[in-house]
Amino acid sequence: MSIPAPLYSGSSAGTAQPVPSAVMPLTPMIDIRGVVKIFKNAAGEFKVLKGLDLTIERGQFVSIVGKSGSGKSTLLNMITGIDHPTHGQVIVNGTDLYAGKNESSRSLWRGRNLGIVFQFFQLLPMLSLLENVMLPMDYARMYDFDERPKRAMQLLTLVGLEHQARKLPLAVSTGQQQLAAIARALSTDPPLLVADEPTGNLDSHSSDHIIELFDQLVREGKTVVMVTHDPSLTARTNRNIIISDGELISEAVAVALPLLHHREMLAVTKQAKSLKISPAQIILQRDVHVESFFIIARGVVEVILQGKNEEDVIVSRLNPGQYFGEVELLVGGMSIASVRAAADTAVELLALQRDDFHKLLKESPITEEALGRIARQRLQENKSINRQGLPQAGLGKNNNASSLA
Amino acid sequence: MISTPNSVSSNIPSLPIVELRDVVKIYKSDAGEFTALRGINAQIFPCEFLGVIGKSGAGKSTFLNMITGVDTLTQGDVLVRTEGKEVSIHQLSENDLASWRGRNLGVVFQSFQLLPMLTLLQNVILPIDLCGKYSPRASRARAMELLDLVEIADHANKLPAYISGGQQQRVAIARALANDPPILVADEPTGSLDSVTADHIFDVFEHLVERGKTIIMVTHDTGLQPRFSRHLLIADGEIVIPPDSTGAVSAPAAQAR
Amino acid sequence: MRPRWLKVFSDLTDNWLRTALVVFSIAVGVISIGVISGAYVIISNDMSASYAANHPMNVELRLSTQFDKNLVDTIRNMRGVAQSEGRNIFAIRARVAGTTQWTSLDLVGIENFKKVQINLLKPISGQSSADKKQLLLEKKAFTTLNAPVGSTLEFELSDGTIKTLPVVGIVQDQTTGAGDFLAPPFAYISTDTLTYLGQKDGFNRLYATLSAGNNDEEQLRQMAANIKDKVEKSNLIVSRSRISKTNEHPMASTVQAILGILLALGILILFLSSSLIANTLNALLNQHLRYIGVMKLIGGRQNQIIAMYITLILAFGVIALLISVPVGGQGAYALAAFIADKLNFGLLGFRIVPLAFIIQIVIGMAVPLLAGLVPVLNGSRITVLRAISGETARESGSGPAADLRRETAWERFSTGLAHELSHRGFHIPRPLLISLRNTFRRRGRLMLTLFTLTMGGAIFIAVFNVRVTLFDYIDAIGRYFQADVTVTFDRPYRLEKVNLSGMKYPGVTQVEGWAFADAAVLFPDKTVADNLVIMAPPVDSKLVEPILTAGRWLQAGDEKAITVSESILDAFPALQPGQILRLKINGKEDDWKVVGIFKFVGQQGTIAYGTYGYISRYTNLVDQSISYRVVSSGGHDAASQQKLAEGLDKYFRDQGFHVTEARSGKSTLATASESLDILVTFLLVMAMLTASVGSMGLAGTMGMNVLERTREIGIMRSIGAVDLEIMRTVIVEGVVIGLISWFLGMLLSFPFTYLLSTIVNLAVFNSPVDVHFTWVGYLIWLAVVLVLSALASVLPARNAASLTIREVLAYE
Repeated sequence: MSIPAPLYSGSSAGTAQPVPSAVMPLTPMIDIRGVVKIFKNAAGEFKVLKGLDLTIERGQFVSIVGKSGSGKSTLLNMITGIDHPTHGQVIVNGTDLYAGKNESSRSLWRGRNLGIVFQFFQLLPMLSLLENVMLPMDYARMYDFDERPKRAMQLLTLVGLEHQARKLPLAVSTGQQQLAAIARALSTDPPLLVADEPTGNLDSHSSDHIIELFDQLVREGKTVVMVTHDPSLTARTNRNIIISDGELISEAVAVALPLLHHREMLAVTKQAKSLKISPAQIILQRDVHVESFFIIARGVVEVILQGKNEEDVIVSRLNPGQYFGEVELLVGGMSIASVRAAADTAVELLALQRDDFHKLLKESPITEEALGRIARQRLQENKSINRQGLPQAGLGKNNNASSLA
Repeated sequence: MISTPNSVSSNIPSLPIVELRDVVKIYKSDAGEFTALRGINAQIFPCEFLGVIGKSGAGKSTFLNMITGVDTLTQGDVLVRTEGKEVSIHQLSENDLASWRGRNLGVVFQSFQLLPMLTLLQNVILPIDLCGKYSPRASRARAMELLDLVEIADHANKLPAYISGGQQQRVAIARALANDPPILVADEPTGSLDSVTADHIFDVFEHLVERGKTIIMVTHDTGLQPRFSRHLLIADGEIVIPPDSTGAVSAPAAQAR
Repeated sequence: MRPRWLKVFSDLTDNWLRTALVVFSIAVGVISIGVISGAYVIISNDMSASYAANHPMNVELRLSTQFDKNLVDTIRNMRGVAQSEGRNIFAIRARVAGTTQWTSLDLVGIENFKKVQINLLKPISGQSSADKKQLLLEKKAFTTLNAPVGSTLEFELSDGTIKTLPVVGIVQDQTTGAGDFLAPPFAYISTDTLTYLGQKDGFNRLYATLSAGNNDEEQLRQMAANIKDKVEKSNLIVSRSRISKTNEHPMASTVQAILGILLALGILILFLSSSLIANTLNALLNQHLRYIGVMKLIGGRQNQIIAMYITLILAFGVIALLISVPVGGQGAYALAAFIADKLNFGLLGFRIVPLAFIIQIVIGMAVPLLAGLVPVLNGSRITVLRAISGETARESGSGPAADLRRETAWERFSTGLAHELSHRGFHIPRPLLISLRNTFRRRGRLMLTLFTLTMGGAIFIAVFNVRVTLFDYIDAIGRYFQADVTVTFDRPYRLEKVNLSGMKYPGVTQVEGWAFADAAVLFPDKTVADNLVIMAPPVDSKLVEPILTAGRWLQAGDEKAITVSESILDAFPALQPGQILRLKINGKEDDWKVVGIFKFVGQQGTIAYGTYGYISRYTNLVDQSISYRVVSSGGHDAASQQKLAEGLDKYFRDQGFHVTEARSGKSTLATASESLDILVTFLLVMAMLTASVGSMGLAGTMGMNVLERTREIGIMRSIGAVDLEIMRTVIVEGVVIGLISWFLGMLLSFPFTYLLSTIVNLAVFNSPVDVHFTWVGYLIWLAVVLVLSALASVLPARNAASLTIREVLAYE
């Protein structure tokens, strides 16, 4: 599947074109600052979003995950301008959505700046697929009147529906409806695509097709934000944002301890102390007591052993989402290696106190099991290094913890 | 308050309270046929808290609809043994089924489905009113007790819109219990609730099981599995036998609870 | 209260707008039926009862010579006669002292007010009898002249002198002018006053009542002939005789016919409002399907659910009745009182008409029940599964498990058409396409809405056409009155003299003297079949443009030949041109040949035309005439004619002529137009009612449509539609429905016009009339329907635009 170039670089005859996404300004695509959302009804107040900060860069494929009731739909509504925050600021594609805009003008902005894909497709049942795809152009008054059908047809061809163009939504399969909905979302060539459980109602084959399409769009320079609860989809995105009970889970925690429940991840996010480490600064000496479990949030740390000549040898470089300190906390004893920030990056660490760490493992035996496996492995490797001398390559490749990078 | 179903468990102890025999459900549409259930056999025993777990589209809701009788089956039979007699519910007429259901089966939905124009108390009285099993005075007292049981008694005279989702679900459970049915059926009852509220609902369910109800609950959340006394995995319209609980499908293992 | 009844109660009170819509729809139908049926009963009873209560004459003879008391006594002593009285009735011009505007009155001279036994006068204010040089005014004269008791009237005698009389009382005379739309107002004097006003003593009108058989037409006719014979034996000339039943107001059948038309329209309104009810209840049940499903699931049986909704419907009916029964009762009396006032009869007082009361209750309960039965039965039949799974919403394309569905033929046609047009370079903007397709989505609801709106429109347009037809007909009648002014003298003058004099008046181009004769048409048994006024213009007169239905107009040399107006056919249904009628003119019987039959306003009685040459000879007034037609070169509008009439009046008097009256040509028609206007107003009110029911239906439909499509509106919002677009989508749909209904209404207005004008004309003129059409009704209705449909959609549209997306896209 290839995307016809003019669709994204903006057609020459077009009117009121948005900024072509190929030119990437330096601002992030989405910048959410201190957003609080409180729902009020007669039963009382519910704080659905509890002060979120989130930045999503341009050209990324981002998934947002959360259990039902976690606030993920509300978060999505903040980005699309469908709902408005109680406090805080939402800047999307350079526009402060809630500053001096009413619902109607946000609608127009939305039509020109972002495409929405819904779980239930939400095609207008009285319009054919082609007409559905043309509609946003009509609303946004973009492209010449005569050009709209051509452009819509191109988009339908892009998603492989050129032969169904004249059919009504009810007469095509759900997968095809979703493809048409994506074509519709692309119709005004917005730089941002927002999808709410786009595959939630589709069979796996259709799902694959749609994710491939998203991949393609991201490669072409679009930003795609997708809400999903399907782990097989989150694996395919650049970045995975988890929301739980109205707060964001540290992405590093989520990567480091994937087997935790969201609630536990959130607890870790809150309990862990954030440490800022300057480049090349030592974090942990060898043979000292270790009182914390460290998760790397940003930057790279180097695990160092003394070589035969007492020289520092980097045995492993750990990336964001990886962790250290678990061996000592699980097995006991002094630290088995020293750790320092890489020379060229500042490092941010999340440090979880020993007690909190043990409490956590008690709650989540599978995490304990997983960590134990890693710890044993690292210990094993450590011993063999001590016995056989240092290998040239780091230990990193054996480390089965994935990384955020 | 809630009668213990001794009549069932002591008189015919070995018999399941709900039994599905070779249940097949095929949906026909313009586009062709779709088989939602492919010959399901299942036995559910008194005082079980049975989880039916499956992805969306696996057939778990259809499974539930077969038990409540709100959907017809294409083949097979569903037997329910309550009130000391055995009923093949799909043989009943729509009207008989409605009043049978009113007495024997409480249903709880993901979206609560309380009538918005009635107070919580009236919502709970409604099934009693429709069923005619208790006098108006008694039904009011009974409804109050049920609301008390789910800890909503303080809000009895509020409208559904004025309480939270979790509270609404508890009222829905109270309503499902209104005619003291031995079986409670719940379709994703915690699907719209946050995790803390969902826990409360489970507490209520567990409490009810202790008091002799049989609960069948459908969910897509595999994480809830430990909370059931037994569970069935359903996928593509068939019951998948979990590798670690051989024979769980037919054995009354849950009796131990 | 038990929860299920509580639910019914809250359904009733919850959405007051919907309740109001349903209640109002029921009430409109019930009220219109209640008012009309009530008025019908009141009028058909009271009109004749109050008429009879005033001892109306059974036989009336107009004599062209005066007679005295002896004749009255002779007639009273005849077998079969109960009472007889003489009156002296003459036309005179009057005005309130100090004003300038003359009004023609008929003065009735009564010998003894205390002893009046026939055509009783009902006192209203002041005295009920007039002494010498005193005047009583009839109610109508009182309102026309605006002369209260205590004021003074001036009368102009034929010699030009002015006499005054004080008004001492106002009375109501329900009998003397009954039956004549065109009768002038009456006033009453004692016969002592006659000479004061320059009149001869004695009587010129004879009334008699019969002792038996006074409601039997055959006996009445026989007795009238007997009395007439008796009178003529005294060498008196009877110019006219008329019979009238005691127990039936002469206008009763006309009024009942008109009420019948209104009743038919009322029934139509009931129909329309019931389709409105059906629509609303359908929507209500649709919204409640989920609740019905829940109730069934928790043990509700179908009949319990049916009972709940039937109760709801009956409650709607009861509320509507609480409003419409009192309103209908009052309205019926008000309508009856209005008609009574116009036709000058009294009502027996306010009362509840049991028949109308029962009818209202029956339709108030039955109509909503019938309209709601189908929706309720369908709704209660829904399976729990469909209700709970929200499959009902599937129609609008949502629903997780939306199955693949084939497009219907209509859908294929409508999308195919749009693509075809687009292919040929004619692009319909998608927002417009949405409005157009939305229009046809709820086909059943659209049909009902169109039905009401179309009916309302068709009646509206038809009423305008009927109005034009009526007035065109009156205009056509005007062709018999081409002259600008008719000058009547109290004695014959030579043609030459009047002509010479008249032509000197500025602007006068023609003065034409006509001959006249009163004739009685006799049956072979010598009884009077009909009375004729024979007018005899010169044979080449251009001042009559007859509308012939059979035969030919008069020719030079026609002798004993007449053309006669259509109403003669009542007495001689088989009359053909060329046949003979036996006429009695001035006591002389002869056979006359009918050469042609023409159309004319029926209420004035039968008229005939003869040739001046022959009739003037026949009446011994050769080259003379008492009545002249004057044509002027000035304007022919009513005002110029009126001015000319006044000028000529003064001019001829100044020249020494004895003028009775100078009357403008158009004024002859003015009275007729006025009474027709009342009728047209009634029709228009009914048309407005149907139109308002129609637009309510449209508003309801649009409201329901928007309610059902909130999700789609959210989608439009989410892909960039601004408020204006959303509102436009809704309003355009409303306007499209309005336009369709206008088009259908336009088509339907043709048969409606024919039907309605035939009925109305038969009732009013006793003859069918050529139908005329006017673009006015079509245009007004187009404007009305556009405005109404836009208005009807504005509220729903605004609601639609104010919905936030979060509300409508509530994540499933």
